Amino acid sequence: MKEFAVFWGCTIPTRFPFLEKSTRTVLDAFSLPYRDVDGFTCCPEKSLINNIDPTLWKLTAARNIAVADDEGVDVVSPCTGCVSNLSTVKKGLKTNPKEAEEVNAVLKKAGREFKGAADLTHLVPFFHDKIGIRKIKDLMKKDFKGMKIAVHYGCHMIRPSHALGADDPISPKKFDNLLAALGASPVKARNKLMCCGQGLDRVNQHDNALHLARIKLRELKSEGADALVVCCPSCFLQFDNNQFLMEKEGEKFGIPIIYFTELLGLAIGFTPEELAMNSHRVSVEPFIKKWEGRDTTEASEAIEEELSDAGVFGL
Amino acid sequence: MQESLDFNLLKMCADCGACYEICPSSLHLDGYDPRAVIKDILKGEHEKWLTSETIWQCLECHYCLEMCYQHYGFESAMTALRRLAASKGHFPPQLKKGWDLFIKSSRLGDPAMPARKKLGLPAPAKSGVDEFAAMLEAYKESRDQ
Ligand code: SF4
Ligand code: SF4
Repeated sequence: MKEFAVFWGCTIPTRFPFLEKSTRTVLDAFSLPYRDVDGFTCCPEKSLINNIDPTLWKLTAARNIAVADDEGVDVVSPCTGCVSNLSTVKKGLKTNPKEAEEVNAVLKKAGREFKGAADLTHLVPFFHDKIGIRKIKDLMKKDFKGMKIAVHYGCHMIRPSHALGADDPISPKKFDNLLAALGASPVKARNKLMCCGQGLDRVNQHDNALHLARIKLRELKSEGADALVVCCPSCFLQFDNNQFLMEKEGEKFGIPIIYFTELLGLAIGFTPEELAMNSHRVSVEPFIKKWEGRDTTEASEAIEEELSDAGVFGL
Repeated sequence: MQESLDFNLLKMCADCGACYEICPSSLHLDGYDPRAVIKDILKGEHEKWLTSETIWQCLECHYCLEMCYQHYGFESAMTALRRLAASKGHFPPQLKKGWDLFIKSSRLGDPAMPARKKLGLPAPAKSGVDEFAAMLEAYKESRDQ
């Protein structure tokens, strides 16, 4: 496997270093060839920078990609926004040589050149496509049989699909496949693909942000979900922090929000403490308690059978 | 507006509305009505939207783009209006704060050092802030030429 740099983005190191912890923990456990690279900046955040100065949005993203190009690495990110932004700019410049030339004329003065050689992948499709479910199953020590775990893709893991090509943009499968591999029972939710709505918090519309979070959390509560799994710091912020704020005001949901790397970490044998899961605002306790209290005999073989029937290994 | 938007596509869009069914803001936020906005753009009456909250309610989820038979997406109209609004100094205060932080530091916050230490995380990689500043200078020069 080609060496890759983890693009941490701004939100994880700033607000959620514990998510960096679980991400590093699973990357190490799978002995993956990753390293930190000096020189990255904000990807930059699209809704913020692109709305004010689209040229600067492109320049900044192109420079980040150029850093990876110069280091000879691919890029993997645990943030959907970062991958989507970088990929959108990469695609735009790759298909518009004139624009790439203009961008490079500026980058040259900062000592960089955009070539767009680095592959850019989000962690979820990365695990699905490059590590593979077979390898995950080899390392798995505990499954999630009997646990109802809802999945939230995060818009920017899969859209815009012309730039990402990560999964079907309307009916994605990869995150679901990974959860199925871990033995989790899916939760049917009408609002499964609905945007988390965190963007509204960035434009001074907090009540609207809460409103969108509420719609999803209510549905999950009524479906009896034990947890919601996400893999984007923005979605995490929306469902963990904003749920916490609503609960403080008396509205109870009780849906623990689990990062994909935490769930995977638990499955391969790490403890919640080792994964720093006590840092969430909505407690993960109820989920962990129920999970540890299950009767786990015969689970593993049943999963193997179900997965084979579903053709997951043939992907 | 004519410069930044394809009015032929917009005309189709004003009569279509197929993506209302999946647009989270159309479905769940009162008063979010992209077709009303688009009709005003076509009439040359977009001015009034520049100071509205509506244009900032598009979540840039790109769902409309994926569903659209024109591969257009009414987010395009919202983005054009947001850019115009921003160029005239109308934007949510938080956005301005984020922008200023980005320009100054090249990112949206510094790594949380005490927490990193407690978690046993390695020292964070160096940011590209100096190079970013050089790029910014070069960009300004090229723009002013
Ligand atoms: S990108 Fe904006 S307009 Fe399009 S579906 Fe999402 S919220 Fe609606
Ligand atoms: S963006 Fe496309 S699908 Fe949506 S209303 Fe316009 S033309 Fe129709």
